[in-house]
Amino acid sequence: MQQGKLCNRIPVETKDKLKEILGDKGGIQYYKEMESLEVDVPALKDLLKRTLKSRLKTWLNSCMRCGLCADSCFLYIANDKDPKQVPSYKIQSTLGELVRRKGEVDTQFMMHCMDVAWAQCTCCNRCTMYCPMGIDTGVMFSYLRGILFSQGFVPWEMKIGSGMHRVYRAQMDITTEDWVDTCEWMEEETEEEWPGLKIPVDKENADIIYTVNAREAKHYPEDLADAAILFHLAGENWTVPSEGWEETSLAMFAGDWEAAKLQVKSVYSAIERLKPKRMVVTECGHAYRATVTEGPYWAGIKSGKPPVDSLHYVEWVAEALRTGKLKIDPAKRIKEPVTFQDSCNYIRNAGLADDARYIMSQIAEDFREMKPNREHNYCCGGGGGLNGIGRYRQERNIGLKVKRDQILETGAKLVISPCHNCWDALRDLEEVYKIGIRWSFLKPILIKMVVVPDHLKLSAE
Amino acid sequence: MAETVEYNGKSFDVDEDGFLLDFTQFTEEWLEIVMKEEGIAELNEEHRLVIDVLHDYYKKNGIAPMVRVLSKLTKFKLKHIYELFPSGPGKGACKMAGLPKPTGCV
Repeated sequence: MQQGKLCNRIPVETKDKLKEILGDKGGIQYYKEMESLEVDVPALKDLLKRTLKSRLKTWLNSCMRCGLCADSCFLYIANDKDPKQVPSYKIQSTLGELVRRKGEVDTQFMMHCMDVAWAQCTCCNRCTMYCPMGIDTGVMFSYLRGILFSQGFVPWEMKIGSGMHRVYRAQMDITTEDWVDTCEWMEEETEEEWPGLKIPVDKENADIIYTVNAREAKHYPEDLADAAILFHLAGENWTVPSEGWEETSLAMFAGDWEAAKLQVKSVYSAIERLKPKRMVVTECGHAYRATVTEGPYWAGIKSGKPPVDSLHYVEWVAEALRTGKLKIDPAKRIKEPVTFQDSCNYIRNAGLADDARYIMSQIAEDFREMKPNREHNYCCGGGGGLNGIGRYRQERNIGLKVKRDQILETGAKLVISPCHNCWDALRDLEEVYKIGIRWSFLKPILIKMVVVPDHLKLSAE
Repeated sequence: MAETVEYNGKSFDVDEDGFLLDFTQFTEEWLEIVMKEEGIAELNEEHRLVIDVLHDYYKKNGIAPMVRVLSKLTKFKLKHIYELFPSGPGKGACKMAGLPKPTGCV
């Protein structure tokens, strides 16, 4: 069965293969090869037989085509209510059709499924809240992505991302040495302003093990320094693992189930090795979903929970503010109108809306909710991997209109966004639509307004 | 997908985010285009050093370096790299140096 050199059914497992696929800028050759990538129908049939279980079958069969999901989807709204963007249509015409045809499908159909699965659904799960039958279309699209990945029909950047996880146990090319070196570097860079600040690596029995998004190590190390400053100010006994520090999962977005399992197991191994009391994960939505919400199932943990209690960063901040570990100087609160971007992965899908509101009540004088908000807020527009896929840039930019209008309606020019993916979407939204907004994670905002305990003040002060 | 940008008689093939698709098309004109986008008025020797380091690393490794490596090779502190490239080392500096857009969550 015909396969391409770059576009094929074989996952990327070596540095050389990564280099080869990265060398095909923008995936030009990759997508060309995809047009003649043949579907391995026997393998597809076998996969369906093994993995399409009663829950998904029930969902596919119980959809009444009532259309109540239509208006819940930001992509339907952004695309002028195009019927092809109705969630039930999107899943029925792809996964539903694939199942009805019992896997007897061709290349063109699979490419169409890929374009729908990554460009027309961000797996934000908002439609689930409005379905009278409780059908979870986001979960079904995640399943469809897995089927597509197994057959090689996956966007170029996703194939690279899952390959990175397989080779580096991180979504980017960062070795253990690189990571530890970056931690040491951030200690050096902060030592003048924060004497005594440490980023403890591999400390056993700490109260907190802190895990991050690889981009912080590779491109934005100030995020790690900011986290260290806030743990320092809060007096936390914390550590980062030398291995198993990456909590994100482009493998999950890619539908590479095997790599998703390998990745999350590396984090759980670090927990077992260092025996911390709890885990805190950085300001990232999908990382929380991958490591805290879904990861335990991938790793085969029967309780469905990670090995230790795990907090998203907003939970840690809310707790630190409630207990007084971090204190806000009221004079330094944000005075201008400010709004909050609810990340689907930990607000809608993990119920942390109250913690986020508590934080906003402490740091802002004029907090303005988007409409709708909390669990009902819309996806930023770039979730589920969509931000990072060049092939779908136009579709992503159209989708951003919904968030743009929500923000404009609040009148706020500052958006707090404790999720890397949302943060990127807001940055790109500003680049595309130029509405004059700024956006920020919580960490830099908090550092500007927390009270520094006397014993941590610089002696010159 | 791919688009072409024309500037002062030169043309550049770029991806959907405006990153150069072909590293060998990098010229002084390319620098001028990205400088304007990034709001950098004038390129000094330090900008040039960052760009040279990115070029060398990319030629050897086929991927952009992590900021730690960039800092080591240029001896610049992180804050200074941000002063030179306000949109950050991952995006602004790579774009200016003609490297492809970093993949992943960037």
